[in-house]
Amino acid sequence: MKLILSTSNVMSGGSSIIRHPAVEKSNTELVNSLRTNFLTAQQSSSPTPLTAGSSSPSSTYNGIATAKATFQRPHFRTWIREQEDTLYIPAIDWSLCGLAEERSQYDITVKLFYLPNVPPSRHSRHTIEAIELVLKELRTKSIDLLIASFPDVAFDADDEGGEECDASSGEDSQDTGDIVTAWRTLETLHANGTIAQLGLSEFGSQRLARFLPHAKVRPSVDQINVRDCCVVPKPLIVYAKREGIELLTHNDCTNILPTGTLRELLGSDEKGAGVLAESREVSATGREGLIGEVEPQFVVKYTAVVKERGVVENKGYFAVAELKG
Amino acid sequence: MCVEYLVVAYDDKNRRVNLSLRQTDILSTLAKDDELKRNPRNAEQLPVFHPEFGRFMLEATPGKPWGIGFKDLLDVEPNMRWRRRIAKDHMAPNEFPITLTTFPRLGTKGVFTDPYYPPTGDKLRSQFVPDEVANPHIRFPTLAANIRSRRGRKVEINVPIYRDENTPWPFRDPTVDYDLHRYPEDDDVRNGAVKKNCIYMDAMVFGMGSCCLQITFQAKNITEGRTLYDQLSPLGPVMLALTAATPLYKGFVADSDVRWNQISAAVDDRTTEELGERPLKNDRWRIPKSRYASNSTYIAEDPRLRKEYLDPNLIIDRDIKQKLLNGGMDDLLATHFAHLFIRDPLVVFSEDLRQLDLEKTDHFENLQSTNWQHIRFKPPPHDESTGWRVEFRPMEIQMTDFENTAFSIFIVLITRAILSFDLNFYIPITKVTENMDIAHVRDAVLTQKFYFRKNPFPSRPLRAFASGASGASSPGQGSSRPPSPFSPVGDEYELMSIDEIINGQQKVGDGTSFPGLIPLVENYLNSMNVDVETRCELARYLSLIRKRASGKLWTGAKWIRDFVREHPEYKRDSVVGDRICYDLIKAVEQITKGEGRDEGLGEQMLGLIAVRSSD
Repeated sequence: MKLILSTSNVMSGGSSIIRHPAVEKSNTELVNSLRTNFLTAQQSSSPTPLTAGSSSPSSTYNGIATAKATFQRPHFRTWIREQEDTLYIPAIDWSLCGLAEERSQYDITVKLFYLPNVPPSRHSRHTIEAIELVLKELRTKSIDLLIASFPDVAFDADDEGGEECDASSGEDSQDTGDIVTAWRTLETLHANGTIAQLGLSEFGSQRLARFLPHAKVRPSVDQINVRDCCVVPKPLIVYAKREGIELLTHNDCTNILPTGTLRELLGSDEKGAGVLAESREVSATGREGLIGEVEPQFVVKYTAVVKERGVVENKGYFAVAELKG
Repeated sequence: MCVEYLVVAYDDKNRRVNLSLRQTDILSTLAKDDELKRNPRNAEQLPVFHPEFGRFMLEATPGKPWGIGFKDLLDVEPNMRWRRRIAKDHMAPNEFPITLTTFPRLGTKGVFTDPYYPPTGDKLRSQFVPDEVANPHIRFPTLAANIRSRRGRKVEINVPIYRDENTPWPFRDPTVDYDLHRYPEDDDVRNGAVKKNCIYMDAMVFGMGSCCLQITFQAKNITEGRTLYDQLSPLGPVMLALTAATPLYKGFVADSDVRWNQISAAVDDRTTEELGERPLKNDRWRIPKSRYASNSTYIAEDPRLRKEYLDPNLIIDRDIKQKLLNGGMDDLLATHFAHLFIRDPLVVFSEDLRQLDLEKTDHFENLQSTNWQHIRFKPPPHDESTGWRVEFRPMEIQMTDFENTAFSIFIVLITRAILSFDLNFYIPITKVTENMDIAHVRDAVLTQKFYFRKNPFPSRPLRAFASGASGASSPGQGSSRPPSPFSPVGDEYELMSIDEIINGQQKVGDGTSFPGLIPLVENYLNSMNVDVETRCELARYLSLIRKRASGKLWTGAKWIRDFVREHPEYKRDSVVGDRICYDLIKAVEQITKGEGRDEGLGEQMLGLIAVRSSD
């Protein structure tokens, strides 16, 4: 069974997306906004409003923590939707989606995270699914920039410049092969006008050099973690400039949704959404949940910015997983 | 992004520095510089220089409005440098444009202007400064004279003196002459105008002769303008304290770090009745604030704006409000304008009264421009050449172009974060007023706490769930849920340090904590496509703000205090003598050029971050 987790617009999601840099990891935005969205859906579907006096809806601002004490979690079937072997968590009312102004006012950037431990043969199908979800969510036909993030590709400022330290071992050229295969699908979407520009994430100059000869549509963007933005080595800057690739910053981690995190998000303990059962045996409380192993497949992030004003109007994620019974 | 300069003139031989009164000459040299205009590179963007109230001041605005793009933002700093260079190029060799809020010895006994004029004159009637310190254009001296005559006496500025080891105590301003009998206003000092333990000043120029850093934003439409006006309002006092740069007045060290209340007093035209010193007889209201003061009301049509945030005692002209309502204006905006209209116009040219031209907005602008609020809401001009605008006015000018850029860009990014995250900074407007006073305390940035909203985020709209029955809300408009129920207003805000407001509160357990303005801006930037070089440059600016707030770097005020205190001629008596002033201004000029790189001069303020990576 396929699970489609969604955040809806995180810009109106409040504090869940602001991380405290010292203590939290950079997938906090995804994890917290999923959690917040699940909770919002649960509250919306719940026949009994919140009980405790001081607990106005605004006090959910710090995430789940304040709410759990006062809120009886409704059965997950009340706030998700099942459709042809696909579970939408939460249910999405597509009629509420879309952008406020004309399409031409926006810059829409999509970042697609291919996840580790997923066979590269699925990348193509995942790409198409991801783009479909985003287009449906934003009610549009095209996006301006798609950035592909491949698992285990991480830029390291120290590795750059000079030595071929991650030299072309057999394993690595295998990687390049997989990346090129995934890129072909993106090129098709570029050709049919769905994606205007393509980009990569965390490619150093050597990896770029290995990849570029294979690309029919050249990447116009390479994203580097903001942590490294002031120490980007000269060779990469020079190389990128020569190849017409713009170096942009991001603040995501590559392994954005580990299996354990996903299981915790959907699990039935207090912080979880109560979609998955504790174990194969029905738990003591008698609350049922789905049974099986979850396997994250891909995550896609979309951002719609009103160009002239520099305002982020809509930003969100879809995370897609398989549930193996 | 408008920058004001003080023009100083050195007398290096005698190691003295004065204010240059050559504003008119400098402006006309600038106006006549055809070469500057012919240079095609300059054609579009040539900065515009304006006269200001003080005849020793220059104001420079960029030649065209700034774009909001990140590359545009990176042009701000070079453009500010360019503006200063152009200004300097059109001055005498011994003159320099510095960006200090006040000239440390304006109004002191002896010489402080070049050329020298003896103090006092018919227009200002000050016992400390000559009329020649004011811009000679008829508007400016008339403005000063009309404020004085409406008020019925001279303006009265008393700044607390900083009490050092050898400061005479109680302190009675030794520069005051109680024995003048030239103008009726000379009686003021005999009638108690001079307050104990204060530096006393008596003319508009002591306030309006201060430089500041003002930023005007173009709003998408009136709605966005009203939102920005409201949301920027609570940030005003915080930014005032964070940019503190005004510890010296009239040759003394003051026990206050910012200019605001001095300007406020310097243009206070309220009568004794309006001030509440006498029962109301001829005047219509008692008015709690000067016409230069922090905002007194909110104007956004925003469901988050609770009645409790407004001031129930706001003074408005009810007839004008009714007229505006009748004309179709909504209540909040009508209240705002009816509040501005409790003031009289200060200068009206008689030819403008002969015929009322309803196509023009001059009479409105006349009142609007002499209502100096800390945020200004600007309707489009009559020719509609620009749209609705909001001006952010509280910040103090900084010594270097780097700092001025950093604060300007920070505010630009904050407005983008406000609009993107739909942030809510509302607190009762009277608390904003209180914060404004708190910002005046010496070293308020580190020692004081400010009322600030704990949770700036919108509550997530509960959605019409899954039933398929939709249409409750239109696409992209998520937040239509009625904003109730409410907790008590008093629970929404608390006292926070500037560090907490800027850098965020420590998270304690599961409790709520304010995320901090810098983390909000960082998160906004993470959501945008920003190239690495730009992000790295922006990091320098944000780093300055962060460190100023945490105390790692000093405010300009603290640096100036330290400079005076460490000067060999300083006698720990709160007096800033000629030599100290000269060395200080020289140091400031050097910092303007070196930005902390010259033997560490100014490093406590700037760290090493002022150095551009491309340098």
